[in-house]
Amino acid sequence: MGMRALFGWLLAVGLTLASGAAQAHPHVWITATSELLYAADGSVTGVRHAWTFDDMFSAYAVQGLESKTKGAYTREELGPLAQTNVESLKEYAYFTFAKADGKKERFQEPIDYFLDYKDAVLTLHFTLPLKNPVKPRQLVLEVFDRSFFIDFQMAKDNPVKLVGAPGGCQMKLDRPSDGSATAQKLNEQTFLNGENSNFGMMFANKITVDCP
Amino acid sequence: MKQHLSPLARGLIACATVVLVAIVADAALHDLLAQNPFGAPRPTQAAEPEASGIVGWLLAKQSEFYRQMSSTIRAAKSDGSAVWTLLFISFAYGIFHAAGPGHGKAVIASYLVANRETARRGIALSFASALMQSLVAILIVGISAWVLNATAKTMCRAEGAVEIASYALIAAFGLRLVWVKGGAFIRALQTTQPVPAIAGVPHVHHHHEIHDHHDHDHHHHDHHGHDHAHAHHHHGHDHVHDEHCGHSHGPTPSELAGPGGWRRGFAAILTVGIRPCSGAILVLVFALAQGLFWAGIAATFLMGLGTAITVAAIAVVAVSAKDIAARFSAGRDGGGALFMRGIEFGAAGVVLLFGVGLLFGYIAAERTTCF
Repeated sequence: MGMRALFGWLLAVGLTLASGAAQAHPHVWITATSELLYAADGSVTGVRHAWTFDDMFSAYAVQGLESKTKGAYTREELGPLAQTNVESLKEYAYFTFAKADGKKERFQEPIDYFLDYKDAVLTLHFTLPLKNPVKPRQLVLEVFDRSFFIDFQMAKDNPVKLVGAPGGCQMKLDRPSDGSATAQKLNEQTFLNGENSNFGMMFANKITVDCP
Repeated sequence: MKQHLSPLARGLIACATVVLVAIVADAALHDLLAQNPFGAPRPTQAAEPEASGIVGWLLAKQSEFYRQMSSTIRAAKSDGSAVWTLLFISFAYGIFHAAGPGHGKAVIASYLVANRETARRGIALSFASALMQSLVAILIVGISAWVLNATAKTMCRAEGAVEIASYALIAAFGLRLVWVKGGAFIRALQTTQPVPAIAGVPHVHHHHEIHDHHDHDHHHHDHHGHDHAHAHHHHGHDHVHDEHCGHSHGPTPSELAGPGGWRRGFAAILTVGIRPCSGAILVLVFALAQGLFWAGIAATFLMGLGTAITVAAIAVVAVSAKDIAARFSAGRDGGGALFMRGIEFGAAGVVLLFGVGLLFGYIAAERTTCF
């Protein structure tokens, strides 16, 4: 009896643990490409994202939208939806977090935003200008959803582009799926006692740019 | 089976209970902190990487099944046999997906513990609430998208409204449980003298209550057959019941147990089942867009079935753990009852905590994201 009871309790504890930890799970998948925009003087002015949604969410998002051609949507027809998207994204800080030499940087409201619909999936394009352009030795940009409702993955080909960056700048991308030790370690070092340390961190895409 | 346990065994059980309660509380607190927009520093991060093994696997499995759904629905347009694959994937997804307070699993488990429910009822509640969840998802998409051809924005708002209502229901439900269980706990605290289990305190409701429990017991014997362990088990359980009822004043939920208890069970089903799963909504809309709405409906029901199995398993574990604790504590009259009332009160508190946390956005495990 004693063993059985103990086993039961252990099972209960294990399940509770598992359930507590697994409570976040994605419902939306985004394949992202990001461009870091540089000014002529070598300072970073902002980020330009292109986020491609999964086909299930894309179908959901265009549900009920008017279009001239069935199953095809023009940029104009998707205008109101793009507007809604960027407005809603504000609440989540655009899932984009920047640090210049360890200091947190803030973004302005998005500009130049639009949606396009191709091969039954939606892609949201938008530019996030930095509140104050910075010229750091190291810039860290992270793209992730802390609640993990959205699973962000950087595109396989050309995930990050440096546009107009000064010569000698080195870019490094740490993907969450790599399981690479460096991403884990850096995350812990940078965020263990910072404000961003939480569950979603494990799924962060981390772009690091070192400039001389 | 022994009714009297060594202090060591009882100590072990007490420790296990504390651990269990601490874990549940920790999970809730974890969310409270994690969702704090101003980000309170979290000193205890050590446990996270260890958990990522199981979590990672669960998430990977779930994502795998979910992402196969859209391609399978597409395939079903030209190849009818793909529907069977879709049904299997949906079922598997449901099993893996049912892991989160948003799906009411924690609420059901806590409710069962707080209310001294049987495992049988726990299973029934799990299935009924999962069925309702499926129906709500189908109704939302069926009415707004199919009939009214509403946009995602409108649909998401409807979803959001239902979500808020469901959180409010959980909180209200938890408040009621805390009220009832808090009263029982305080009464147990006030009983300084151990009361003989059979005698009880003379009370107007006394005979009525005892009678009720006999009915209750017979009912179980009928369904459980004559398994020895079960007979003993219910005996131990009864012990506690009688003791409690000796002090009971208001109509406690246990008085409603038995066949007529569905009125009460319905509150739990409604509380948990009114909140549809975002995944089901997405699958339904996608299926509708592909012109295969019926396949989406079938997938939603299979998802619900998978969810029900996981939730039922957890419900059974919760009830069994509670019963084990009840059996052990039954050996000691006064303290045992106090111990059990304490657990029930704690479980009621967890329901309230989840409800309030979800309602005020501290816990955002299954948040509807409209964008």
